Amino acid sequence: MAHLLTPGPAALAQHMIRMRLGLMRHSLRGDNASNLYTGVSLGLILAFGTIAVAVLWPAYLPLTLAAWLSGWIFGPIFIGGGSEALRPEYFSMLPATSGRIAAALLAGAFAGPAPVVNLIALLSLPVYGWRFGPAGVLVGLTAAVTTLVTMVMISRVIVALIGLFVRSRATAAAVGIVTGAAIALCSNGWAPVAALGGTDTPAWSQVLVRVLPSGWGVAAIEAAWPLALAILIANAVVIALLLAAWAALLARRVVSAARGGVPPRRGTPRPFPSVSGVRIAAAKELRAWWRDLVRVQLLATAFSYAIVTPLLLVTISAWIMVPFTGLIAIVMAAASSANLYGADGTALWLTLMTPGAERADVRGRQLAWLLIVGPAAVFLSLAGTLASGQTWAWPWVLGLLPALLGGGAGVIVLLAVTSLVPGTDPHKRGGNPLSTGADETAETGLAWLVLVAVPATALPAAGAMLLNPWAGIATGVLTGALSAWGLGRIAYRRLETHGIDLLNLMKYGPAPETTKPTTADLPIQHRIGVTVSYSIAWLPLFPQGLAPMFMKIFGVEDRGWFLALHLPPIWQWPTIIFMIALGLLMYGYAILIPMRLISSSSAATS
Amino acid sequence: MPTHREPALRAIGLRKAFGDHLAVDDIHLTVPAGSFYGLVGPNGAGKTTTLAIAVGLLRPDAGSAEIFGVDVWRNTVQAKSLIGVLPDGNAMPERLTGREVLTYLGLLRGLPPAVVAERADELLRILELDSAERTLIIEYSTGMRKKIGLAVALLHAPRLLVLDEPFEAVDPVSAATIRTILRRFAANGGSVIISSHVMALVEQLCDHVGVISDGRVVAAGPLADVRGAGTLEDAFVDLVGARTGGTEGLAWLTS
Repeated sequence: MAHLLTPGPAALAQHMIRMRLGLMRHSLRGDNASNLYTGVSLGLILAFGTIAVAVLWPAYLPLTLAAWLSGWIFGPIFIGGGSEALRPEYFSMLPATSGRIAAALLAGAFAGPAPVVNLIALLSLPVYGWRFGPAGVLVGLTAAVTTLVTMVMISRVIVALIGLFVRSRATAAAVGIVTGAAIALCSNGWAPVAALGGTDTPAWSQVLVRVLPSGWGVAAIEAAWPLALAILIANAVVIALLLAAWAALLARRVVSAARGGVPPRRGTPRPFPSVSGVRIAAAKELRAWWRDLVRVQLLATAFSYAIVTPLLLVTISAWIMVPFTGLIAIVMAAASSANLYGADGTALWLTLMTPGAERADVRGRQLAWLLIVGPAAVFLSLAGTLASGQTWAWPWVLGLLPALLGGGAGVIVLLAVTSLVPGTDPHKRGGNPLSTGADETAETGLAWLVLVAVPATALPAAGAMLLNPWAGIATGVLTGALSAWGLGRIAYRRLETHGIDLLNLMKYGPAPETTKPTTADLPIQHRIGVTVSYSIAWLPLFPQGLAPMFMKIFGVEDRGWFLALHLPPIWQWPTIIFMIALGLLMYGYAILIPMRLISSSSAATS
Repeated sequence: MPTHREPALRAIGLRKAFGDHLAVDDIHLTVPAGSFYGLVGPNGAGKTTTLAIAVGLLRPDAGSAEIFGVDVWRNTVQAKSLIGVLPDGNAMPERLTGREVLTYLGLLRGLPPAVVAERADELLRILELDSAERTLIIEYSTGMRKKIGLAVALLHAPRLLVLDEPFEAVDPVSAATIRTILRRFAANGGSVIISSHVMALVEQLCDHVGVISDGRVVAAGPLADVRGAGTLEDAFVDLVGARTGGTEGLAWLTS
């Protein structure tokens, strides 16, 4: 007799939670474990920081919680669809309604570190409620739970929406544009706020942060009893609606057959040009850029960020960034192209089996990237410099443009073969077209590495520019050409000698017989230190160190958020030097500590 | 100088471990030039790993491989120009159509454009992929992926074909077409190695057989020698020491 009954909702949820925890236990090996520890440590710091805000600066609590909400919304988009340990496809044949499976999957979604960390952050609500007496604490505790569920649900619904509706270039680009604008707002959103309301917090923003789902808890605590109850009940209704929406989206997702984010096409594709070598590889790569929605989305994110960031500063009449729109676009586009070989998966075998194809493939990818990013970056640079009227910027733009274009084309292929992050092969990816299945933490780390390495290739041009503008332009052209040629050469040489290792890294995962120690083998405090340094060292080095340095050199009056420029003149240079030194020290620590460990242990074993 | 008298493939003492698991344990194989060689073995026996090492797609822990006398690891480029490979489960340039992938790889290999266009056309027509002109490879079915993989392996007219499970998931009509193509290729002096689970197919196609079990070669040689008096299936079950199950347990399914 067939067994017709499926377990009840509670039992199904329990199974999901166990399965999720089981998956997590199995994935906690090597680098993944260290990424998790670091992520949790950073998250806990932020969570306790949020509680501190509730105690010390309660007025800013709704704004802080809004930041957590934006993390849940944009995190999954930026790192590619969010982690889907439990894919809905696994359970599509269970004889249960989509609503019941959605509820159980939701329970599974909570069995992870992120919701736990977020719950700790939300304990700031009862802490805040303490000011309003025992009732405030009670409302705060209830609101902490409902807010957590709401945030996770919003995140899931957005991932599901993207998975279902990003089926064309237009929608992929739209998601990219929104994401890029959101990142720009996160880093420079203070500018329009300052332009609108000056330094004192205007009333409308107080209302806004309470109207957002993240602020309902604060609103309920501050309200009288009946209204507080009404807010909490309304929140529960919203959760029910989100769950219903998510269930409906999941049900549609598992029966929609679209694979791997392929945009719709009309007509027979244009035939390949009758060329060979580098140019045929570039033709292949250009088609991949045009036909892969993930690439379309990431490129749109890069350009949207590059265009929105300077415009935000224009609201406070600071035109200083506008000439550099194209340069920012180059660096961001390079960061989103950092895992070229990882994204293509085991298709690398064909390059390896074709005699002499490694060079053509690397050079072709460089050429395609330059053709895609170059014209737009040149246009944005020229238009931005013209429109801003910042004539002093001309030599900088003209010198740094070729330096960064060449640097970007060199760095992306070099990192693609030296720091490959393996993902899931494109044809095996699930119903989420924006996810590459790669370890998001490692992919994000690689993107950060590009954000540091590409500007570094333009340092010689910047240095020469300080001496003489013409020398700067010449150096920029020279280093750009050298970077693209030289780094590309190292990349294809390495592909020739180590291509098979890359292929098998993608096919079988990292070699298990690691005799060489990795970052994961560092003592825990160093492991956390290294990752924290990697993630925040850019802050003192670039925006707080190099940026105010150039502004001082050129006598730019706008003080912005550059700490040094707000200090008395006598302290400005020491602060700038301290910040640059701090940034360099953090990078040095992050790079040297693992190297020292590896060399000392290999010395011990040999 | 390598000649036709050299074996098409010679594997000497191949060994490969994945962690604690020894996937390939001291494998020696000789595939005579002009032979149609079937590599058979149970699931997880090491067939795919052996073939990947033999063609130079996986670095062995020990041992070496030669294609027509050319060392795969020392003389990589020359060895690769002699073989056409269909690996199991690897990705392709997924954002290209079938015709585009053949055109791209043909031109990348330096074949003249007219030759590439002609061969791509013929391969797509014979393998019945020409109706999917607008379909990207990422949207192909499993069987179509096998067929385009085979077309890629044949495109540059290699002297040795190494095909991992070429008939898996392929429909009967296409399978018959592929069998005919491979027989013609072998009849005209080409050498073929296929791996398969289907004994009847190997018996029908191959003149030489190698049986791999637990990462070791347990029998190899001309088909008649390996199978003896019975069928290849009997000989296989006998060789790998397996016992066919399925008669015990599962009472709940049949009650």
